[in-house]
Amino acid sequence: METTQYKRVWLRLTGVFCLLITVPVAILVLVTTNSLRDAAINKIEVSLGRLIEHKRDVVNLFLKEKEDLLTMMVGMYPITYLGRQENLDNLFIAVNKTGSIVDLHVIDSSGKQLAYVGPYAQSLIGKNYYDAQWFQDVLINGSHVSDVFLGFRNVPHFIVAVADPLKTYVLRATINSEQFNRLLLSSQIGPHGDSFIVNREGTLQTPSRAGLSELNSEDRLLLEHHEGTTIVKRDENVVVPGDDKVVTDLGKTSIVKRGESIVATRWVKDGQWCLIVKALIEDSLGPFYKVRNNIIIVIIVTSAVFLAIAVLFANYFLQRIEKEDRNRAELGHQMVQMEKMATVGRLATGIAHEINNPLQIITSQAGWIGELLPEEEPDKVKHLEEYQKAIEQIKHHVRRAGTITHRLLGFSRKISAEKQNVHLNELIEETISFVEKEAEYNNVSIVREYTENLPGTMTDGPQLQQVFLNLINNAIDEIGQGGIIEIRTAIERNTKLVAEFADNGHGIKPENLKRIFDPFFTTKDPGKGTGLGLYISYDIVKKLGGTISVANRNSGGAVFTIVLPIINVD
Amino acid sequence: MREFNVLVVDDEQEFLDITVKRLEKRGLKVQGAESGEKALQILLHSSTDVVLLDVKMPGIDGIETLRRIRSMKPLTEVVLLTGHASVDSGIEGMKLGAFDYLMKPIELEPLLEKLADAYEKKRLHQEKIEQAEIKRNMSKPA
Repeated sequence: METTQYKRVWLRLTGVFCLLITVPVAILVLVTTNSLRDAAINKIEVSLGRLIEHKRDVVNLFLKEKEDLLTMMVGMYPITYLGRQENLDNLFIAVNKTGSIVDLHVIDSSGKQLAYVGPYAQSLIGKNYYDAQWFQDVLINGSHVSDVFLGFRNVPHFIVAVADPLKTYVLRATINSEQFNRLLLSSQIGPHGDSFIVNREGTLQTPSRAGLSELNSEDRLLLEHHEGTTIVKRDENVVVPGDDKVVTDLGKTSIVKRGESIVATRWVKDGQWCLIVKALIEDSLGPFYKVRNNIIIVIIVTSAVFLAIAVLFANYFLQRIEKEDRNRAELGHQMVQMEKMATVGRLATGIAHEINNPLQIITSQAGWIGELLPEEEPDKVKHLEEYQKAIEQIKHHVRRAGTITHRLLGFSRKISAEKQNVHLNELIEETISFVEKEAEYNNVSIVREYTENLPGTMTDGPQLQQVFLNLINNAIDEIGQGGIIEIRTAIERNTKLVAEFADNGHGIKPENLKRIFDPFFTTKDPGKGTGLGLYISYDIVKKLGGTISVANRNSGGAVFTIVLPIINVD
Repeated sequence: MREFNVLVVDDEQEFLDITVKRLEKRGLKVQGAESGEKALQILLHSSTDVVLLDVKMPGIDGIETLRRIRSMKPLTEVVLLTGHASVDSGIEGMKLGAFDYLMKPIELEPLLEKLADAYEKKRLHQEKIEQAEIKRNMSKPA
């Protein structure tokens, strides 16, 4: 496989791992944070519901308390008593310890003010209220709590008015708006929350914390919804969505999630006013964000760890594949080489066989001529010497050809059927001693890198020595003056011995690497080499159960590696 | 050189002829056989000292012929000669009792030497037997 292909596989693998890890994690984060957010919002709604409930009680209580106070007073004192200014003054001082009542009016049933106590006596004394809407209301219903209005003094206030049971007079108190407003101060959630009271027309009865001066259209819609039209159901305390005709149950709270905020509404003052509490969701999500951030951090860290593991795994996996592929390619190459060598070997020996017989007859016949020639009459044979010389030439070249065929067939090798325990280092050292003079002469140095204490192996020492000799001689021929031959021995996995013969020559041309062991392949000058040395070496090593391979070194030069099995002495 | 009887066995007629001729010229008594069967027949009726035997032949091959010669005439020495075999068959032949193993092409002189050596061995062996027989006869009461 090409490197780019590995890269592509790697990318695909890590991509899949990334997806496998990040997609579920992302889903987990989304689901978790969403449900957490929902829970947080739910919590806001619950506390909002509680808060508005409480505030309603406070507001209602406040109003009821004022009403009750006035009711009590009108019940206790007849008009004749309260109609007197000094009596009213005393009563005002007695009941208004808290300062929540600004002033008190005593008005008879004709609308005429009988007595007044309060800071605005000058402008209000003698005023007739008969035509005022609230006055009529009191006369009919017995009591009245007004909306906030500016009144004569142009100050926001509201009044509580109560008539005596016989409707002979009306006691009216102006309530301090400030004190009333203060009741709602603590009734919002978060810095951007808001709470205020509006009347049915949507006019603000208490100031909005957010600075609203009048109800916006959305809030107005809310108010209308609360009247019994459509409201999204939030919990059982909320008005059920229904058609327009459903009459609002004034006793229930409506909680509506609207955009980024949650709004709770609740009727107070018998449905005349509406208490509105708004909470910005964001304000209350602080803890949620904290939890969410923690979760995200944990998940990012763990997925980073998993990703790292996945990438490491992918790397490891690919390296394994790459190595495996390389091994397989190597093995395939070796198999091809072995098959080729076997074929070439069969071919070579076949040819050698076929040539030996004709060679035998040639040399025999030539010899025969040589034997008969001296018997001829010397006078008649003019070129006797030439014939004899020719016969010698024929014999000589038959010998030469015979040497080659014999080497091909392995006949020239020393036959040693007995294998002996051979120590690699000693054998190489002995071989070097044969060529030391020659190396010296060529100014070639031989560097030994032996691994000490190598185990011996049962093999054919002389034949192996022939291989070593061959390799060293080749190296000496190749590198020439000043070369270095490095011989290294090693043990591999305790089962194999390795001998490397490296030189610092020109190396072997890539196209020759595959043919270097072929018989008759030589790069030497014609007549200098038969091209059989490496072929025979290959054959010997193969027969000894080992392998011989060649490679070019990165640093230049070639290296022959012989691997032999370690065969123990029986 | 002493005169001794040689049987040359080779399926290649030309080689057979020239070898017979040349050995005869060197004073040996030579017979030729172009197959293993023929060689065995000749051996039955003649006193051959040394057999020069080609290993690879049609019919019964050299190794088989060698085996039969050894059982038929154990004293006759056999020199194997071939261009058609490997070292292994040489070793096998020697294990079966061949005197030596020669490769084609071979010149006459080394061939003659080898045949003479083989004959010498046979002769010594035969002498020993004869001496043993003489001893035995002498020790016998007349």
